[in-house]
Amino acid sequence: MQFFKNLNVDFIGKRKLAYLFSATLILLSLVSLILHRGPKYGIDFTGGTSLQVKFEKQINVGDVRNSVSKIGFGNAEIKRIGLAEDNEFIIRVEQMSEGSDAAVMMEDQLTKDFPENPYDIRAVTEIGPTIGSELRRAAIFAVLFSMIGILIYISWRFEFKFAVAAVLALFHDVIITLGFFSVLNYEITLVVIAAFLTIVGYSLNDTIVVFDRIRENMKVLRREPFASMVNISINQTLSRTIITSFTTLIVVIVLLIMGGEVTFSFAFAMFVGIIIGTYSSIYVASPIVIEWHKRAELKKR
Amino acid sequence: MQKEHVFRLVLILALVVLSVVSLFPTLQLGGLQKTETAMVDEIKTLTGLTRAEIESGLTSGNLESLVRRTISGDTLEKALELSDKLIKHNSKITRVEGKSIRQGLDLQGGTYLVYEVDLPQLLRDKAKNKDSRLEDIITATIKQSEEGIDFFTSLQENFTSRQIGLNRYFGSKGQTDEKIIEELQNEATDAIDRTLENIRNRIDQFGVSEPSIQKEGNRRIVVQLAGIQNIQRAKAVIGKTALLEFKLVKDADIVISVINDIDRVMRKMRMGEDIITDQQPGTDATQDTTLGEKAEDKQVSLSELFGDQADTTVEADTTGGVVVDQKTFSEKPFSSLLRQLSGRSEIFVPLKNEQVVQRILQIPEVVDVLPGDAEFLWGRETTTLGEEQFLELHLVKQEPELLGSMLTDAQVQIGGGGDQSMRAGAAEVHMELNNEGSKKFAVFTGMNVGKFLAIVLDNKVATAPRIKEKIPSGSARIEVGNMDEAKDLALVLRAGALPAPIHAITENTVGPSLGRDSIDKGKNSAIIGLALVVLFMIFYYRGSGVIADFALFLNIIFVLAFMAGFHATLTMPGIAGIILTVGMAVDANVLIFERIREELRTGKTIRAAIDSGYSQAFRTILDANVTTLITAVVLYSFGTGPIKGFALTLSIGIIASMFTAIVVTRLIFDMITARFAIKKLSI
Repeated sequence: MQFFKNLNVDFIGKRKLAYLFSATLILLSLVSLILHRGPKYGIDFTGGTSLQVKFEKQINVGDVRNSVSKIGFGNAEIKRIGLAEDNEFIIRVEQMSEGSDAAVMMEDQLTKDFPENPYDIRAVTEIGPTIGSELRRAAIFAVLFSMIGILIYISWRFEFKFAVAAVLALFHDVIITLGFFSVLNYEITLVVIAAFLTIVGYSLNDTIVVFDRIRENMKVLRREPFASMVNISINQTLSRTIITSFTTLIVVIVLLIMGGEVTFSFAFAMFVGIIIGTYSSIYVASPIVIEWHKRAELKKR
Repeated sequence: MQKEHVFRLVLILALVVLSVVSLFPTLQLGGLQKTETAMVDEIKTLTGLTRAEIESGLTSGNLESLVRRTISGDTLEKALELSDKLIKHNSKITRVEGKSIRQGLDLQGGTYLVYEVDLPQLLRDKAKNKDSRLEDIITATIKQSEEGIDFFTSLQENFTSRQIGLNRYFGSKGQTDEKIIEELQNEATDAIDRTLENIRNRIDQFGVSEPSIQKEGNRRIVVQLAGIQNIQRAKAVIGKTALLEFKLVKDADIVISVINDIDRVMRKMRMGEDIITDQQPGTDATQDTTLGEKAEDKQVSLSELFGDQADTTVEADTTGGVVVDQKTFSEKPFSSLLRQLSGRSEIFVPLKNEQVVQRILQIPEVVDVLPGDAEFLWGRETTTLGEEQFLELHLVKQEPELLGSMLTDAQVQIGGGGDQSMRAGAAEVHMELNNEGSKKFAVFTGMNVGKFLAIVLDNKVATAPRIKEKIPSGSARIEVGNMDEAKDLALVLRAGALPAPIHAITENTVGPSLGRDSIDKGKNSAIIGLALVVLFMIFYYRGSGVIADFALFLNIIFVLAFMAGFHATLTMPGIAGIILTVGMAVDANVLIFERIREELRTGKTIRAAIDSGYSQAFRTILDANVTTLITAVVLYSFGTGPIKGFALTLSIGIIASMFTAIVVTRLIFDMITARFAIKKLSI
């Protein structure tokens, strides 16, 4: 079985179109991020209290809200989880003043208001505001450090221009994935950060496979102009790029559908990231290498 | 088979065997747990206890007494037999669990708590004088430390930039800023150590199987409690401030007379004579046993000990009996549970008898015979005498002579031999009292020379040294056997002296039901994801796909075996990591297969195509995986618990996939092409 045989698609010729496409996506992402005043951070990063409860009998979001608003949590964010018949909710409030335990207060109120409808406490998370900002910083450092590590490794194994192209492509992927989260108003949690880093690693994987072929072809196809040599390399590796992305997408989609609440945002970030990452290794990373090469050639003259 | 194949084959087989051995306990665990559930169900139907009650009885070790309390008659015997079996089965599970993949708190349910020393509060407590300027500096320091600058570095800078010496508020006049900062830092570390000690002492009472209490950085403590039932109570107890008291120990003659009184009370109870008739509950005929039969046995049943009106709530240990001195048992039922009484004020209780003695001490009639101002307190640590372990029991005056708040410091000192009162190398603890404490202590020690003073932390006696002389200065020395004991005692004293300002800054609790759901969802996703990938590989690469799938299976086994072998923690993100590995692990094989196809297209022979396919793809696979590994390692070092779990499984998955894809599949190809004359490669 082969889907891709003797391919010869002119990827590089259409790179201007790809630039436009990428630029549009990045612009949309940035606009959305600006409009939403930055990413929507989850409780891990903002601090606060979240209570996950599962009721035995049918109950509405409104009922739950009425109950918790009696103790001053009228602005609580209440989200239904899973199917309607699961009667499961996440109630999230901002951190209260020190000493008072928001989760306990809510539990007591729910018990009082729904004596006929017992509930199971599924999870409680309370995070202080300092620890939140600390984690935010750690997350940013994590992304930066991995980028630096990659820059160094690729510079060593390939050339500096390849390293820069790879890292630019990574920024491209992360910004657009972040944009998707912003547009859909999904929260950035620790797990999503983990997904971002995985996307970084994954997208890089694709990029390196292409670069590796370019490095190889630089010796084999010396007569070929640089741009068309890159295009040949992309075509040669295209089949692998797509097959691997496909198998990874399979498991990510399974996780997205069946993994449940904990892994949903992770799987969603991966889903977007894999598609964008595969695209960027073809249409962003390699063209940047070409542009860089062109400039260097011009300078030489 | 070629020689070179044999070597690789042996290597791979050895790894597989190793993996299976390392995975065996984990595989065994599921079955064991099922049996346990069945046993719990059986007890449930027999006794009417809830599952939660049975499980908590199991972890706290009082399942048997729980069963005794609930039912009686014929079913009791059956239920007891069953619970005995369950207890044994449970300890087997614990053993096997130690060699299995550990489930993270998010999978098995549990609580993750982070405590932080309130450094600003510590500064305010320590400051010689408090004014708005100090408050300004503290506020500025808090702000900067939230931006990631070290608290003390920032504190020092804030003082310097305002041209104020730290000695204005802290330390003594002559000290440099650096010296004072160093001392404050030590103070903070000490606060952490003291709190760690307190938490450790208190956590015992929850019956948590593997509590983890760790220092993190220089101002945090991370507490992880798996499978805990009542989180609110746990939090309340852990967060409580330590209570340190100094209590006068009752004289030996009083202790002896109290024990005699208790013996009398017990004897009467055993004979069925009610001491205070109107308080006695009805007698239970089924519990009646005659003394003659059992006295020959060293193990005495509890009902016998308590006589006719035996209350079955006695917390028996698992063997169901206690150790008594047979000779004195009938005469002095209480004394017979104790050891070494002559002339000493402390009582030694064999560890086995602890709960029975505790139970006796709570009987109202026994409480009545105690002198009005006295109480019994247990020691903190067990002592080993001969081959047996003992707990000390002290009879002390209820009213404390001194409180921890009157203590300013406690330090370990080692005797240099110069001091006449101290052996060279012996350790002692110096403690300093404040003004109020010094005065009280001077009067108290003056009046009680020769007596013993119990140092009590959270109602447990740490030690009870003899008062040698009047201590007028507020500076006391406590002689201790060795260095470790001295360190412990100093920590106990400091723990109670200055309650460390500490707050819980993070709590993350996952209920057991959510954990079970997560496991189910994770398992299902993994199985379906794996099945789809496996089918796709066979569909796309045919025979070679089968080989790649085989490598994929091996890969997963290696990852799990590694987790089990190192008793690593599997979290929900960790499961996601394994699932992701399934999708990504085939990548190496895809690269190789695509390369082989290319080589075949150029007209190479099968052997040559395989050779060059592997060698060409190797470099690409290495580069691509190293970069992914870089991000995984970064993630591991920056992430918290669950995320670390993800980084771990992903890293192991990547490494294992390189091995299986490059070494294992290559060997299979080599062996097939060497054995059969293949004309067309199924790829």
